[in-house]
Amino acid sequence: MRVVIIGASFAGVAAAFEVRHIHPDAEILLLEKQDNLGYIPSGLHLYWDKKISDLDEARFVTEGQLDKHGIVYHLNATVQKVNTTQKIITYDQHDLSDQLSYDKLIIAAGSRQLSEKITGSAQESVLKYKRYDEAQAALIKVEESEHITIIGGGQVGVEAADLLTAMEKQVTLVESMDYVLFKYLDEDMIKPIEKNMIEKGVDLRMRQTVSSIEMEPDQKVTVCLGEGSVTSYAVIMGVNVRPHLPFLDETIKQHTDQTIAVDRYLRTSVEDVFAVGDCIQLSGPGEDRVYVPLINNAVRTGIVAAANLIEPSRTFKGSLRTIGTRVFGKYIASTGMTEAESLFTDRTVESHRQKVRLTSLADSDTVTLKYVYDAKTHELLGAQMISNANILEKINVLALAIQSKQTLEDLQQTDYFFNPAYSQMIATTNLIAWMDERADEDEN
Amino acid sequence: MKIEHFLEKNEVREITIFNQLVLNGGTLSYGKMLNHLGVSKASLENDLSSIAVRIDGFDQKVQLQYDGQTIGLSMSDDLSLQQIYRLYLDQSIKLQIITFLFKHQEFSITQLTQKLAISESSLFRKIKELNSHLKEFGIKIRNGQMQGEELQIRYFYFQFYCYIEDKTTFLAEHPNDRLTQMIDAMEKFLNVTITPENRERLTIWLIISNARVTIIDKQAKRLRTQMKAYRKDPFFHKIQVFVLRYFSRYSIEVDEVESMIHFAFLLAFPVLTEPDFHEYRLLRDRHTPIASMDTLIAETIINHFKYRRLPYMLERDMSYHLTHIHTRLYFFQGDIEIYEYEGIIAKEKQIVGTNVVSFARTLLKTSTKTLADKTGENNSLLKMELLKYISLLVLITFKMASVIQVGIDLKMDGLYKETLGELLILKLKPIKGVKVEHYDPTKIYDLVLTNEEPKAQANYDDARIYILSEILSSFDMVNIQRIIQELNK
Ligand SMILES: Cc1cc2nc3c(=O)[nH]c(=O)nc-3n(C[C@H](O)[C@H](O)[C@H](O)COP(=O)(O)OP(=O)(O)OC[C@H]3O[C@@H](n4cnc5c(N)ncnc54)[C@H](O)[C@@H]3O)c2cc1C
Repeated sequence: MRVVIIGASFAGVAAAFEVRHIHPDAEILLLEKQDNLGYIPSGLHLYWDKKISDLDEARFVTEGQLDKHGIVYHLNATVQKVNTTQKIITYDQHDLSDQLSYDKLIIAAGSRQLSEKITGSAQESVLKYKRYDEAQAALIKVEESEHITIIGGGQVGVEAADLLTAMEKQVTLVESMDYVLFKYLDEDMIKPIEKNMIEKGVDLRMRQTVSSIEMEPDQKVTVCLGEGSVTSYAVIMGVNVRPHLPFLDETIKQHTDQTIAVDRYLRTSVEDVFAVGDCIQLSGPGEDRVYVPLINNAVRTGIVAAANLIEPSRTFKGSLRTIGTRVFGKYIASTGMTEAESLFTDRTVESHRQKVRLTSLADSDTVTLKYVYDAKTHELLGAQMISNANILEKINVLALAIQSKQTLEDLQQTDYFFNPAYSQMIATTNLIAWMDERADEDEN
Repeated sequence: MKIEHFLEKNEVREITIFNQLVLNGGTLSYGKMLNHLGVSKASLENDLSSIAVRIDGFDQKVQLQYDGQTIGLSMSDDLSLQQIYRLYLDQSIKLQIITFLFKHQEFSITQLTQKLAISESSLFRKIKELNSHLKEFGIKIRNGQMQGEELQIRYFYFQFYCYIEDKTTFLAEHPNDRLTQMIDAMEKFLNVTITPENRERLTIWLIISNARVTIIDKQAKRLRTQMKAYRKDPFFHKIQVFVLRYFSRYSIEVDEVESMIHFAFLLAFPVLTEPDFHEYRLLRDRHTPIASMDTLIAETIINHFKYRRLPYMLERDMSYHLTHIHTRLYFFQGDIEIYEYEGIIAKEKQIVGTNVVSFARTLLKTSTKTLADKTGENNSLLKMELLKYISLLVLITFKMASVIQVGIDLKMDGLYKETLGELLILKLKPIKGVKVEHYDPTKIYDLVLTNEEPKAQANYDDARIYILSEILSSFDMVNIQRIIQELNK
């Protein structure tokens, strides 16, 4: 059996390893457009944060690991056409066109950071850095720019704003919504971050949509907003990623948003063709299908598709859109449904916000937690956290609680260790009403 | 644009034949029909046999008889003229071009000639004809695409799917789980109630919008300029937040234009109920173009009728309708004339008088001068908005007119009393806002007409009394009208 995988990033590589694990004899072929393997998309952030000293260190897989598992990969190989009737793939490698037949095909071609609505966003001074070569170019450009405009206040944009201000760059951040990180946090949770951003000198432009980007004669770039404009030396695109799949033939059904339609087994509309990672929608926190481009989803979908190659055996469990990061001195994490997003569910949703101490010691840090739950059944649907201390791992506990459909009452009974140096009388994620320190104490 | 613009000349004639027959009780002589159509007898014969072929599909439910003298039409009870129009429209090539264009957003000439089984030259001719009518919408079919401002394109498709294409089929063809979710969420987020009728309208709009949301390079220069006055509008802001949040759930990039388009639509068409709209009215900036035009026109109407003021709910209602009219005039171009404009104007004139119609024209002149740079009597949008002004004026006069009770109490011999009384009633009835009847002592009247001085006023309570000088004389009529006018104030 020959398994061809388009795209050798998180989803493609995870699928390849899992196929190898299940089918020791299969011939596995990865086709990758880029000339290098396994770059981590936030590598540049690691570099700016001085966690790595060379972008090349930001790799999640090496060629050696693939070799060891007998996985064949072609770099610089761009798929041009998929013919699902004849099961043939046409691809370009070093300016030569070649063809390849497959028994099973996994499309893991991911996404790219690109705006189709902002005119001028394709120029050189407009930086994107999901890929290695882009990151290299962005690194140089940012180094020589004093003032940088970031478009989009999502995770990428806010992380970049934080790191760049730390590097003493002047930063303007443009966001069309009322507040940043709106997909993950509710407005009441985000206030401390916005406060810190402003204190650190970030020029926040909320409720502003970029319409175009124009080059100025002196190497500067002007970002035109609904009202006014910003001129700086470089622009970072922190906008949402989107799939780019020009090689598909008509038989593979796509949704309006260009993602490939798949069933719970990650099968596309065509037999023997699967799609994973950033090119599909998943069942999200509200259990309807949404687009959640995250590495964890890419990896898990890759594994599930591999398990279903011969026979549909494993369904994909969906995504809670769990994230965790540190920005502007705060650790923030989120999983499941936010209160704002509960708009799209027919459940009645309530929320509870509390601030609790992390340890029993006098100098203990606190964490503000927000629980979003079903008003009737008390089933936990979402959780958000913000703290000065690193509480990121705790979000996984709550993600598991949501995935296993626990109620608030169940949560009170979860079994955790006690050690005064690391916990307090009631564990952080044991939701007990009387443990609240005034949650809105220092936020206003 | 008119519905008949989707049909060929002979098809329009055939539909006119149906229309005439229905208007004339099902039968009409050849002579009268020829007169109406202005064609030769041979061509009428042609039309009739073409109709006969067409209605074959209805399986005897429609029958047409003609013998060179008279034409007769019979239709079964469950069939209406609408279905016959549908029959013609369903076969219309122009209609198919538009639906194909909507489905595919782009076409090549060969694709379309094959699909419609027509020659290239006749396809070009049809597109040319369509373009001449799309002109008033400011859009055109070119290079296999619909081109023009995005708002106008969606607006045209909306009118098209509401009034020309069969909307039931359209709705059925588009599975709407996601739309239901979207509308429910919208209701929650905007804190409004969307009634079933408005929901259908909104569903059609959203099907069209969502099908076009991913199109790159949308034109919106005009809309962006128009929206300058609304950047800070609270409803626009809410829509913007909703649109961003909704599409952030998919890999769809939306720009501001998307929210602007929905803002214009939601205010121009009845989607919000009056109470929900009222909430917005309290918040909106009264100096924006539409709001200030609403105020100006409302004041003009109140002054014109010399009302001191309108009852609270009526004023709210008026404002609700005026905003729809003015939003359309401000944002939109072109319209599909779903009503026979000339016919309705003529009828309205009969019912409400020339005054109302000409006053409505004055209002339209005032509002278009500021809101829209569109002129020309032939612009369908102006025609349709004029009809709306007229309806609004009629509504207000009806609601404001208090009915004056008139009793006729003639003192004369039984037979004369009866007949003269009836004649008087007949003469007074056409006067607006009066109810006339034979005097009934148990009832209360505003005015009593009699022919003899009453022995005691007490008999008629507080009613005003007019003593007729000469029954049915014009002298009396003038006086009675004057009194009614006085009572009306
Ligand atoms: C700056 C940035 C930082 C991010 N940080 C995080 C983070 O910290 N945590 C997190 O969870 N998510 C993060 N993400 C999101 C994350 O990058 C994606 O969810 C993840 O990369 C998806 O993996 P994938 O394998 O599905 O697709 P991709 O990583 O997009 O990989 C697709 C691969 O397919 C290749 N390909 C595409 N087309 C072809 C073709 N025609 N022929 C051959 N090969 C092709 C591409 O070159 C690419 O290597 C970040 C995104 C960005 C932009």
